[in-house]
Amino acid sequence: MRLYPLILGVNFSFTGDGAQNGTAVGFGNYRELFDDPLFRTALSNVGLLVLLLPVAVAIPGLLATFIYLKVPGHRFYRSVYFFPAVLSPVIVGAIFNLLLAFDGPLNATLGSFGVSPVDWLGDPDLAMVIVAGVHIWATFGMSLVVFLAGFATLDAALLDAARMDGASLRQVIRHVIIPSLSRTIQFVFVTTMIGMLTSMFGLLYVMTTGGPEGSTYLPEYYIWIQQGQMNRPALASAASTILFVIMLVVGLLQVKLLDARGRRTDVPGPSGMVVGRHPHVTARAGDDLPAAVHRQRRDEDAA
Amino acid sequence: MRQRAMWSAVLVVGLALAGCGSASDSGKATSSDSKLVVWDWKSGEAFAKSYLDKAKADFKKKHPDVTVEFVAQPFDQYYTLLGAAIQAGKGPDVMLFNGGGQIRDRVDALVPITDYVAEDKQRLAGWEAFTKDGKVYAGPVTLQGYPIYYNKEVYRKAGLDPATPAATWDKFVADCAAIAKAGAKCFALGNKEGVGIQFWISSLGSTTLTPQEYDAWIAGKRDWNSANVKRLFQTWKEAGDKKMNSDGANSTAMFNDSFAYFQSGKAAHVMGLMSDVGHWKDFNEFLTPEQLGVMKAPVVTAGTTPSMPYDGGIGYAVAKWTKDPKVAADLVRSLTSADALKAFYADAGAIAADTTIDVSQGGPAVSTIVGELKSGKPALHVALSSKTIDLMGRLSQQLLSGSITVDEVVKQLAASDQAG
Amino acid sequence: MKTRRDYILDRFSVTDALRWENISTAWNSVGMGRYFVNSFVVVTVSVLLLLLLGSMAGFALSQLRFRGSSALFLGCLAGLFIPFQVIMVPLARIMADTALIDTYPGLILVYVAQFLPFTVFLMTSYYRGIPPEIIDAARIDGNTVYGVYRRIMLPLGTPALLSVGILDLLFCWNDVLMALVMMPSAENRTLMIGVTSLRGQYSDNIPTFASGVLIAAIPVLLVYLFLQRQIADGVAAGSTKG
Repeated sequence: MRLYPLILGVNFSFTGDGAQNGTAVGFGNYRELFDDPLFRTALSNVGLLVLLLPVAVAIPGLLATFIYLKVPGHRFYRSVYFFPAVLSPVIVGAIFNLLLAFDGPLNATLGSFGVSPVDWLGDPDLAMVIVAGVHIWATFGMSLVVFLAGFATLDAALLDAARMDGASLRQVIRHVIIPSLSRTIQFVFVTTMIGMLTSMFGLLYVMTTGGPEGSTYLPEYYIWIQQGQMNRPALASAASTILFVIMLVVGLLQVKLLDARGRRTDVPGPSGMVVGRHPHVTARAGDDLPAAVHRQRRDEDAA
Repeated sequence: MRQRAMWSAVLVVGLALAGCGSASDSGKATSSDSKLVVWDWKSGEAFAKSYLDKAKADFKKKHPDVTVEFVAQPFDQYYTLLGAAIQAGKGPDVMLFNGGGQIRDRVDALVPITDYVAEDKQRLAGWEAFTKDGKVYAGPVTLQGYPIYYNKEVYRKAGLDPATPAATWDKFVADCAAIAKAGAKCFALGNKEGVGIQFWISSLGSTTLTPQEYDAWIAGKRDWNSANVKRLFQTWKEAGDKKMNSDGANSTAMFNDSFAYFQSGKAAHVMGLMSDVGHWKDFNEFLTPEQLGVMKAPVVTAGTTPSMPYDGGIGYAVAKWTKDPKVAADLVRSLTSADALKAFYADAGAIAADTTIDVSQGGPAVSTIVGELKSGKPALHVALSSKTIDLMGRLSQQLLSGSITVDEVVKQLAASDQAG
Repeated sequence: MKTRRDYILDRFSVTDALRWENISTAWNSVGMGRYFVNSFVVVTVSVLLLLLLGSMAGFALSQLRFRGSSALFLGCLAGLFIPFQVIMVPLARIMADTALIDTYPGLILVYVAQFLPFTVFLMTSYYRGIPPEIIDAARIDGNTVYGVYRRIMLPLGTPALLSVGILDLLFCWNDVLMALVMMPSAENRTLMIGVTSLRGQYSDNIPTFASGVLIAAIPVLLVYLFLQRQIADGVAAGSTKG
């Protein structure tokens, strides 16, 4: 059902556009893509998103843990956390556009503390991170639901035992919850990545339209531009084939590494958050990562 | 046992698929011969109602047995969907297009309607944007142009005479300094989509380029190294450097944050539109006709005369797979009939392609605009390819943020223009 | 919930009353009633089919080892990574050729195909956490494979089924692009398309659009609020068994 159109689509990517419609052009479209600085920006933004992935998984994971452990008001949180997820990205984008506008309330608040205004969505170095952050905010509710279901397989006796031993919250999370939920974590990793790479169009369209200076292009947005605005369907097809291959490789790597990890954690021991196993992260590339990730790396080195 | 589970699963899938297959026969769309499907992105909006009613009534007179269905598509996916329909070889009979690149890139899927619309040739303006290689592919509905609007109230506050806005660029810059003292910005600028620069070069084109350079640009012979072409981008940069624009222009949407900024009186000028949004009627909700002015472009290069830049805005075209192109073309003619366009002008405020419409009731701004159309010329940016326009948008943002020079900008644009 | 005028003048001014005319404009302008029925039928059938197929496949792939099961699982995973843009044009062509375009079953089929990998993946991950001993015990008690599925796997899988059901519901309900491609004629459109077209080319009527979005979100929110209780109960039930 989905594979046959996929073959047609990939086949299409080797043909020409416009006057060359229908004729085979070999790898011409792919060469053009890699020569296009915009497409290269889109690819490096994919790298950035993959780096942000651990954060996007950790947030719903932690919140789900709190709800599971019945922090005060957990019923209330359970209800409101899902709310952003049901809103259309266009509305979410519009809301954040207002908040982050140059003359918007965020800058006004900062201004009252004497901080000079920041052009949040107008600065090419900031905009991508901001949009990704808004995406995480808008979608963590979905992962939260998955995590909550995952807790059903958690052995409550183990949890009680750990608490009786006087384990701190951090220890409980590390030694009990993460090993038990390794499959759920794996699932959330893979689906969060897919969400980031294939469903940010709405936000990008409303918040930045790929700008400023083309800094917030993602393959998905690039495909839309080529297909709809530039009338280059075959080139768009080639770009989406590349997107498919990237997701396939990164996704299967995640599954494989997390699987291996999951099996090893059958033996009690410090597992760390499984995130560090990601190829991009182990490459030690991002010193801009949040402190939590560095902590996890240290844990892994110790393991 | 395991096999049985497998088989039962397979069976269920099979049944589900079969169920879908058989059910589909009954639900098959009734594609009778006497139905025309029209795609656009306007018919869902309230202002389009009386326009469509008039057009439908006109068409009904000619073809009482043909039904017409309008399908409003969301604009952001319009050309993507149209592309899919073209690829699949199945789609609407009549469709709406933006003039310029969007229709010219897709003429392979369209029928030339030159002969069918011959009678309308005189009555309507803006054909050029829908013409390729001498053949007409769509009937124009609106005209799109880029007048400079100004707020007379802000002028008064700044101690300037609202009746005589600056005629030269230097005077204009000086006026802007006075406006800044009065606490307002000179321009409401939204360049998030990179559209600001398009309006800029088109609004100031006639007073920056010499008439020869202008005509050559439109004809496709663009000399990117000429001093005047560079000047187009230098004034853009100058306005940014002198803080004449509203703050955070690169993160402000042209549609419609910058227009809202102008309407609320925080900026004295805006380079607006004649149709769709950001035009005289749109502004009239906040600025009375007496407060809203339209000015001629200030002269940047001595010896030039300002003229209004405009082209065909939107127009309806006929798909090549339609059964009877004559009937479809008749629908296009109904959609561009005098009565229908009059309704479009009255409700949407758009400057319609029919130049015989009486606009004297609309206030001074609209009269000025329509009066200028006679001496108007095609807009500079419409002549560029989609790819070059896209690049220009990004470069203009870099000019505002100061990370590129004007020389580098024209160099990159020249390369893109020659490749395309 | 403001008028457009308020919105332009001051976007953050708190309005004293919810403006019903925004909501009724949103509802009336595009015949939302008809769209609501379309969405309701298509989404309900799609989600039920997804849950049925997803739980069966999840059970088979997690607990029953048969030849090619891991290959099947990998195939399923690969399906997860196909961006819709790659298959959009070929899919439109196939659907037009098979006369499935512009029909309920056509869109249902597309939704099921699109979200089945996700559903199967989640159910498989979940069912893998269930100790095989439970199944072996049930089989010794004389249950057929189908009996195990119905008596053990379905009840045990409730929290996951409810969760994935909510998510599938959300995906199908909020989808715009697939529905646009598959449902060209006006009377077959879904609610989200109707809402999206409220925005207009220049997104200049945010208040009406926002009202439309809020109305459209209510059913999903209600289902979630109703089901999250069940999920929590299921979590409690599941953990005592584990």
